[in-house]
Order: sequence, then C-alpha cells, then structure tokens
Amino acid sequence: MAKREPNATPEAEVDMTPMIDIVFQLIAFFMVISNFEQTQADERVKLPRDALAKPPEVKVEHSLVLNVGFYRDMKGEKTDTQPWLFNFVDGEPVLPLSSGGQLKKEAKLFGAKGIDLKEVTVKVRADSEVQTGIVQELIKLCQDAGFETFAMSAMSGPDE
Amino acid sequence: MARRRKQSKGEKLETNMSAMIDIVFQLLIFFMLTLKIVEPEGDFNINMPAQGQPTNPDTVPPFPDIKVKLRANPDGTLAGLFFGSRNLGIGPAAFEQLNIEILKVIGRPGDPITKDMAVEIDADYNLHFSNVINAVGACTGRVDKRSGNIVKYIEKIKFKPPTPQAAAG
Repeated sequence: MAKREPNATPEAEVDMTPMIDIVFQLIAFFMVISNFEQTQADERVKLPRDALAKPPEVKVEHSLVLNVGFYRDMKGEKTDTQPWLFNFVDGEPVLPLSSGGQLKKEAKLFGAKGIDLKEVTVKVRADSEVQTGIVQELIKLCQDAGFETFAMSAMSGPDE
Repeated sequence: MARRRKQSKGEKLETNMSAMIDIVFQLLIFFMLTLKIVEPEGDFNINMPAQGQPTNPDTVPPFPDIKVKLRANPDGTLAGLFFGSRNLGIGPAAFEQLNIEILKVIGRPGDPITKDMAVEIDADYNLHFSNVINAVGACTGRVDKRSGNIVKYIEKIKFKPPTPQAAAG
C-alpha cells in the first residue's frame, strides 16, 4: 500500500484508454461497412432468388430502376393483390401499366443530359410474386419510350 | 534541464477526455443507426430492342430459338415447365432438368456457337415472376460446385410477347 498523503483528496481515476480504443474500432468498422450510395431500391420489393444472380463486376453507368412490388404487412404478407411501381414519380406509387407517359419523360430527361438511351440500362426489380405479364408489359412500355437494354434483378443465393 | 525535470516529476498531464468521448459516441451512434444491411443483388442482362425493327434478311439466325414454355395455375404458381414440347414438371428439379437439357443442346459450355443461340421464354401472363427468373437462370448457366464460378451456357434470352390477360384467363 502506498502511503497516502493525509490532506490529498482521493480521486477516482478510470483508465479510459481501452474504452476509447474499442469505440474507435467500432466507429471505423461502421464507417467502412456503411455505404451512403443513393440507391433507388425499394424494400417493399421481395426479389426472387437465383444462384446465377451474381452482383455485377462493372457498375452500370446510367440506369433507370423500376421497383415493381406489393404493399406488404409486417410479416411480409401481401395486403393487396395489385402490384405497384414504387419510388418512381415523386415517391408516389403508380400503376405499372399507366407509367408510359412518365417513362417517356425519363427518356427525354436522359436525352437532355446527352445520354444515349442505348447506354441506359433499365433495371427491373420485380417482386417474386408479380405476374410475368405485367413485367413484360412494363418492359414493352419502356421499349416504346426508347429503352433497349434491360436487366432483371434477383437476390444472389440458392433457390428457395 | 534539471530544473524542468524536477518540475514535471510527479505531475500528471491531464487532458479532459469527456468532450472527445461525447463526440465519439455521437459518431458511433450515428453510424450504427445509418447502417443498412443490404443483401447482394445480381442482374440478368437482357437485350431487347424495340420490336418491329427491320431485321436484316441476310442475317438469318443459324439456329432456331430454343423454346421454353412456362405454364401457370390460376393462382400464379407453376403448372408445368416445357422444354420444346417435353414437360419437365414443376419445382426445383424441373429447372435443374432444364439446365441439363440446355447443356445437351449446346454441347460444351463456352463454345463460340453458343453466342448465336437464343432461348425464347414463353410464360403465362399470371405466372409468378420468380419462376421466370429461375428459368432464365437455368438457361444462362450453372454454378460450378467445386470452384463456385459461373459456367455460362446461353446468354441471349428472349421473351415471347405476352398474351393479353383476358385471352389467357
């Protein structure tokens, strides 16, 4: 026991160093794994799963993302059988088959930016339970607007 | 020198850490809250130029399209997967069988002739989209079990224009 000076006030000293170490580690970890990339993906869309769907190695430069999905409750059950196009016009869902005018506007917007529509990939993020015909008609509307390259999104992983 | 050493002896340099720790915790909480776990997503590329485009009559495709038909039950589930006119059944086994059939057609994966081959998918209007993705996946290739790499089969996928719902239903 060290001799304590009689008039010295006892001070509780906590060694902060390990805590700060760990906290900095945590910050570094969260900084590295969080991505602030603006994605137009919508969480309401439950994508189909396929083993062949691997994330692209080269990022597409210009893309138009179309989220086709259903309103779902907390358990993920459909609350409505009508599919909607989410995150498209001002955040308001639109009916996929009445989006032709907006798609033409998007095509014009790409044109105004000087981007050739051939370089634009239309990424169709369709829910696994969406009717195939609706997806095909939506692609048709995109073709009418002048888009040519399409990509269908799926979760990578083994089939369910 | 001696004097200075004497002065510093026994003194402890005290930095006020509380401000820094406050900020560091704020940052930590910010990054924790903004963290969004995103599952990796992949794409199947499909090149679909607008229909009705004049096709050059000289460039007749050397191979007829491989026809894959997907028939649906009224509730949208798969009723049958057809390769040509053969019924491969339903479920994951059917898609595996389709994968094998495609391999039989192309012979050897990566062969340059596979570039000229195309698969035409004909799906019912009300079929769930996941079946189409699985069919596209089965036609484009398979994952090599040993290396985990993708072996590509046929990359050109076409879609038959949809039949209107009224006619299909």
